[in-house]
Amino acid sequence: MSVNTITIIGSSAGGPRILKEIFKELPVLNGAIVLIQHMPEFINIPFCESLDQLTDMKVKIAEDWESLNSGVVYIAPSGRHLLIHRNRQIRLVKGEKYHHVCPSIDVTMKSLTPQGGIRHIGIVLTGMGNDGAEGIKHIKNVGGITIAQDEETSIIYGMPKEARLTGCVDMILNPGQIREQLVNLMNLQ
Amino acid sequence: MKNDVLIVDDDRSVIRTVKRILTRAGLNVYVAESGEECLNHLEKGFQGLILMDIIMPEMDGWDTIDEIVKRGLMKDIIICMLTGKDEPGERMESLKEYVIDYIRKPFNMETLVDVVKNYLSYLK
Repeated sequence: MSVNTITIIGSSAGGPRILKEIFKELPVLNGAIVLIQHMPEFINIPFCESLDQLTDMKVKIAEDWESLNSGVVYIAPSGRHLLIHRNRQIRLVKGEKYHHVCPSIDVTMKSLTPQGGIRHIGIVLTGMGNDGAEGIKHIKNVGGITIAQDEETSIIYGMPKEARLTGCVDMILNPGQIREQLVNLMNLQ
Repeated sequence: MKNDVLIVDDDRSVIRTVKRILTRAGLNVYVAESGEECLNHLEKGFQGLILMDIIMPEMDGWDTIDEIVKRGLMKDIIICMLTGKDEPGERMESLKEYVIDYIRKPFNMETLVDVVKNYLSYLK
């Protein structure tokens, strides 16, 4: 079974605060969300549990070779890059840090491939540096929709700014608006 | 551990203010007035949330995090920067994965308590 929409959300410093706003009472959406949050490994599970309490979607730590399912949020575990294999499955790969981080938002976003009937959405939230910018460009190039968090609400306006500077961002939004767009674009299940 | 916060700041007025706010919120607050003191707390087994100032004499916040990582002390601690500095510079790129959040000075009291309690809830 394949999903019709894959949304990749990338965030770093300040991300947990912003994600809390986005996921609070988020209904079950028609598609899969893959979340790349830079964080220490030992908080992967509590972070996952805290998000799971906020939304009706199922939130889980991603597993290698796991199939993407609609209505599920997959969190990338620390220490491995997460790739989307043929828009259907998750691959977790040990590798060099990219932009000083592993998992890298760019690595995940750039693993998406154009495929008829599957829509891609890329979102870059608060964080230092430029992880996510190449990924946003890639998602735009494969026909996806791209969003960056606005400067006003970003705890660190590094990654969203770099994404915006690619010229490939469709919408610059605050967390509430990002939530609205997720509901609009992914439709309710 | 779940209620423990370590403030690392060379400014005693900031320490006093933050300590008062967090103590009133029911948290156990420890203090380090330098990066070296912070490392001593960690060597003695501190586990919890660290509120780290960036600009400090001798060993600044980033030097301190670098040393925490090098000494293998990045275990059961969450680091949140408490800073008045607008943007972290390029030098901090390689350490960014160890910092979960930034709280800007001057900070809102409620925001400080909310953010600290939220991250402490990740600690079992």
